[in-house]
Amino acid sequence: MTTSEGGTVLIVDDDRDVVRTYRRYLETSYDVREAYDGESALSQLDESVDVVLLDRRMPGVSGGEVLDRIRDRDLGVRVAMVTAVDPDFDILGMGFDDYITKPTSHDELRATIDDLLSLSQHAEDVRKYHSLLAKRAALRDGKSAHELDRNEAFADLEERIESLRSTLEAEAADYTDDARFVATLRAIDDSGEGAADG
Amino acid sequence: MAEGDAQSEYPLGDALPIDVGAFDPGMNLLVSGPAMSGKRQVVFDLLAPAASTDPIVVMTTDDPAPRIHTEFEDRQSCITPETFRIVDASGAPGDDDPTVHRVNSPADLTGMGVAFTEAVEAVGSPPRLRLGFVSISTLLQYVDAERAFSFLHVLSRRTSAAGYLGVYSLDPTTHEDRFVNVVTSIFDAVIELREEDGNREVRVRGLSGMAPEWTAFPY
Repeated sequence: MTTSEGGTVLIVDDDRDVVRTYRRYLETSYDVREAYDGESALSQLDESVDVVLLDRRMPGVSGGEVLDRIRDRDLGVRVAMVTAVDPDFDILGMGFDDYITKPTSHDELRATIDDLLSLSQHAEDVRKYHSLLAKRAALRDGKSAHELDRNEAFADLEERIESLRSTLEAEAADYTDDARFVATLRAIDDSGEGAADG
Repeated sequence: MAEGDAQSEYPLGDALPIDVGAFDPGMNLLVSGPAMSGKRQVVFDLLAPAASTDPIVVMTTDDPAPRIHTEFEDRQSCITPETFRIVDASGAPGDDDPTVHRVNSPADLTGMGVAFTEAVEAVGSPPRLRLGFVSISTLLQYVDAERAFSFLHVLSRRTSAAGYLGVYSLDPTTHEDRFVNVVTSIFDAVIELREEDGNREVRVRGLSGMAPEWTAFPY
């Protein structure tokens, strides 16, 4: 996914100045929603939200609690924690996909969101790759090699498989980053059934 | 580095009766065979051939960690916490073995990923490592084919990117041919086992210079 295709970002912070600043950074490229506490964050959240920027320290429902409840709902959303200090704890084990340290910049914020959007797209592509391979296996089951050689739809399928395969292989270099590797698995874990068809 | 540079190959010792001495860094192998064909042994032999000092991580969805420990002790492998780790998702209760990273269930793909990164870190994030995964068939009892495929794709590419060797086991007789075909495409080479009249045979597909012919492979 590229920036021009946007995506929906939910900003959650009890400091309204912070939210206003982030909105100014982001609204030209993404659909932006905002929430000033955990409860309203949870009520704003649905399947159209792609990325949540979640302030860790908020009065009332804390960022960690909001995160747990987001994960329970299997929404397939990527969550970056926004924190005033470098996290000295295990962000992977906690369920965050990434983190941003305050104060952040326009560029850092957008780079983090774009990374998370491309990660979701990558996980979706792996699922799509599986469905194309399954389709090919099903076609091969019913037809002879000779028939398939002359079948345009099959040739087209082969082409799509090859193109997706090389995209996935190129992106796999990023897996050496543990956070990205785990976040990709999480995106696979909480993906819906059968959404990769077609 | 004690074990040469990160780019050097992974010797397979006498784990298989084939004319190949070593596997390239980043390769992923599938060991495929029916129940009782000894595929688990082959996986472990490939992880710990004689004289290898490569660090090992074994991920298990079926055998509990103590049984795997015993297997590697029998091979006289160096199974110190600095060189050997087990990610145990079998659900079996366990003691406080320092070499074991527990995951509640194979259905928790994220948890298995986190445990894998912890295990690799615990052996010092080495430039060389052999990863075993037993078994794909059990994983399929917990997650659908699409999630299983996606998980295996991501895990195998993670080890490839690091130059590690990956060895996975599968019982093809318990799955639809279509799934076996699809999941096989993840791997660089397939080591197939079968039994004919009480004699075991092996063939290897996907390695250049090797004709895929069945060869006697006594237990």
